[in-house]
Amino acid sequence: MTQGLIITVAIGYLLMLFGVAYFVEHRARGTRLAGSSAVYTLSLAVYCSSWTFNGGVGRAAQTGLDFLPIYLGPTLAFCLGPLLIRRMLRVSKANNITSIADLIGARFGRSGGLAALVTGIAVIGLTPYIALQLKSISNGFEALSGTPSHTPGPIDSAFWAAVILTVFAMLFGSRSIHPGEHHPGMVVAIALESVLKLAGLTVIGLFVGLGLFHGFGDLFARANAVPDIAAIFSYDPQRYGFSWISMTLLAGLASLCLPRQFQVMVVENVNEQHLDRAIWQFPLYLLAINLFVLPIAIAGRVLLPGNADPDNLVVALPLLGGQPALALVAFLGGVSAAASMVVVETTALSLMVSNDVVMPALLRIPALRLGKRDDLTRLLLWVRRGVMVLLMGLGYLYMRRDGAQFALVSIGLVSFVAVAQFAPALIGGLFWRSSTKAGAIAGISAGFLVWCYTLLLPALAGPGSFATDYVANGPFGIALLSPYHLFGLPGLDPVTNSTFWSLLFNIAAFTAVSLLGRQRPVERAQAAMFIDTDNPNEAAQIWRRTAMIPDLSSLATRFLGRDRADAAFAEWAMARGLDPKTAVRADAETVLFYERLLASAIGAASAHVLVGALVEEEAIGVDDLMRILDETSRIIEANRRLEDKSLALERATEELKRANTRLQELDRLKDDFVATVNHELRTPLASIRAFSEILRDHPDISDQERGEFLRIVIAESERLTRLIGQLLDLSRIGEGGPAVSYRPVDLAAVARDSAFAMQQVFAGRGIAFRTRLEAATAPVLGDHDRLVQVLINLLGNAAKFSPAAGGEVELGLRRLGDGFELTVADNGPGIPPADRETVFERFRQLGDTLNGKPEGAGLGLAICRGIVAQHGGRIWVDAAPSGGAMFKLTLPAMAEPRR
Amino acid sequence: MLRRTARRDRLAGLFAAGVVLLNPPILNLFGGTIAGWPILYLYLFLIWALLIAGMAFAMRGSAAPVEKPGPRS
Repeated sequence: MTQGLIITVAIGYLLMLFGVAYFVEHRARGTRLAGSSAVYTLSLAVYCSSWTFNGGVGRAAQTGLDFLPIYLGPTLAFCLGPLLIRRMLRVSKANNITSIADLIGARFGRSGGLAALVTGIAVIGLTPYIALQLKSISNGFEALSGTPSHTPGPIDSAFWAAVILTVFAMLFGSRSIHPGEHHPGMVVAIALESVLKLAGLTVIGLFVGLGLFHGFGDLFARANAVPDIAAIFSYDPQRYGFSWISMTLLAGLASLCLPRQFQVMVVENVNEQHLDRAIWQFPLYLLAINLFVLPIAIAGRVLLPGNADPDNLVVALPLLGGQPALALVAFLGGVSAAASMVVVETTALSLMVSNDVVMPALLRIPALRLGKRDDLTRLLLWVRRGVMVLLMGLGYLYMRRDGAQFALVSIGLVSFVAVAQFAPALIGGLFWRSSTKAGAIAGISAGFLVWCYTLLLPALAGPGSFATDYVANGPFGIALLSPYHLFGLPGLDPVTNSTFWSLLFNIAAFTAVSLLGRQRPVERAQAAMFIDTDNPNEAAQIWRRTAMIPDLSSLATRFLGRDRADAAFAEWAMARGLDPKTAVRADAETVLFYERLLASAIGAASAHVLVGALVEEEAIGVDDLMRILDETSRIIEANRRLEDKSLALERATEELKRANTRLQELDRLKDDFVATVNHELRTPLASIRAFSEILRDHPDISDQERGEFLRIVIAESERLTRLIGQLLDLSRIGEGGPAVSYRPVDLAAVARDSAFAMQQVFAGRGIAFRTRLEAATAPVLGDHDRLVQVLINLLGNAAKFSPAAGGEVELGLRRLGDGFELTVADNGPGIPPADRETVFERFRQLGDTLNGKPEGAGLGLAICRGIVAQHGGRIWVDAAPSGGAMFKLTLPAMAEPRR
Repeated sequence: MLRRTARRDRLAGLFAAGVVLLNPPILNLFGGTIAGWPILYLYLFLIWALLIAGMAFAMRGSAAPVEKPGPRS
């Protein structure tokens, strides 16, 4: 088969793929095909590069089944998909993450430095992987065309493969800036390539099994006849060890951390629901594509023993069977696998380099005035194309340097160990709140350095006295530092050795530095945003940033174009209830919106730098903390006051309750009073009326009787008069009106007058009456007549209750402090202590009601208390020394004339 | 919510089973051939297929949009 034909077919095939991509992007954008879950799943199969297509078979031909961990690892990783991948998806979508470097950088305080570190490691780490693809294509080409595997001179088939693939990578991945870095055309082309890869390998497998052998049973039977091959399948309890485990682990981590996997799995994902199917369909694809790898490999060992390059068996076997067309299909399958890997990988890496390294660096150089340039999309695209050329160049150089030494799978594993270094920071960042930026940098750096020392340097060392010596015996003959047996660890192959040590140092540094260090507030906020919430937009207001909307808008226009920027902002403004035309100052959420919008085009690190130049950012400082504290204490204060108020309310309620009880008591007293007055007034009226009627109706009654009746009528009338007078007095006192005319009064005179008035009464009853006036004059302010009324009332009571024989009543007056005390004591039965207060209530009549009606209506003492109170004094009752009652009243002495 | 957690737990269980069954030392128990076919080859693909079937079973019914905002309001 001529070289020209092969190259024409290969280029035609790639052009066809590009045509599909172009068609999808321009004609069928948003159709069901571009956004379907089948396309998503198939695009994930970009994982199967020519490593799978050619290298897997080569590996199987040499060592049997240990090509499989590379696919079992992702299967197991996808078991954790709902936990791990879904979170990666959510967080990335919320932040418009465009690459794994972006994600790790954004997680740890939007660190540009960390993103650049990740990018650098990815570029270096994936160089061998790209070299693998070039080598695979060149191998296949040479096998197919029959040219010797080593063309002299600097230009060989791998070089042309690199050139062609670079051009296609540019066509697919960097024709224009896509919003959110979606490349629907590329994804559909990748999916198509995945179908062709699977179909190609299956066809070859069937051809080998059915065309070259009589079925697979025959194939295995003949293989068992060859002792070398039979040995591979014989029972050996020690056959697979740490190497298998470490490859499973590496592949599982790589399926999450490889930039191209991140690109198709996270960045190109258009619908989170697609993941639900891909979780089991992607492993199913891996199973299907590996089904015939072992039979093909075994057939190669049987039919092409010895000298053939095992990595070329897929092409070599159809040629052996006389089927050059089938060999061409196999070659195209390999080209497919390589091309899809190279296109997606270089696209992802060029995004990372341009967004996380080049643009942030250029934007930081003020002399370039990039922030002021009008259209940066063109610059951005050329940066990306430059990066693609650089990557392919590196890959080519690596292949030239290392190509002769390693089989495809070994080269690929070198890259896997490198990208696995991202896993601790990535997974830790998504689930471990206290992980810090310093920890991530320390872990990734440590792992990367160990990787460089144990895998990269030995691979690049090549033949030469020092280099060979260094790999075999360690630098300067120090065996402990031998790269393939670091610290003298025996029994591990180079990849397993490097995996163990690099991940150990990585995880140890990551956790130790995180545990010892302290998070900045921004970092903590980002951590919370990544870990806590299903809706990461909520944490937006943690940064209090503000900027002018026109500034932000013109910035976005420069990278996205006017139409797209305006449309995006209009949508945002509508959702936020802003008027796009009048809004001038952007709040924190709007600033974040613009940053994420920009991040979708140029990555989070660049967007952060650009937006950071426009906004006035206020860090969470002491002031904010004080404000928060202040608010807290204000709330506490308000709380305390509320408590006070509720206490006061309780007290008021208590008082009200008491007042209410008092009111009810007063109400009852009023009813009693009315009833009593009613009774007291009716009784004399009834008797007056009765005797008057007798006198009218019986003119013939005797004069004696008539006289008696008239006496009763007069007595009752007097009683009535007295009662009414007392009631009037009482009501006057109750009203508190000006019933008392205050004049200087001598209490001694009052006492003498009262005693004189009552002298006859006492004499009539045979009561011994004494006065003991200890003050010659006792000037008070008051009403003489009223005070006399009080004393006469008290003396009258005393007379009433003193025993008829041997009664003694004493009226006393003495000075007491700044006032005077009058006492009226008798030697009667006294008043029990319980009644000493109630006697002053209205209509309380003490004494024996059986002894007939006592004189008076029971208002006397109530009136006395009222009068004394009007004089500012006090009246109460005590026990007299003689056992009777002693009424005491005090009145303040006259200090100075009042008004 | 409960269903989602149950699904996650089932997949985690599958993950654990897969890690144990698809790695040494369990792996090294299978060697030799049966009817000419390598036993390990059959074993690995069988377990692998069962694992995928288990994953598909655990994820079943989830392709229907659960949280799709319907035009109810």
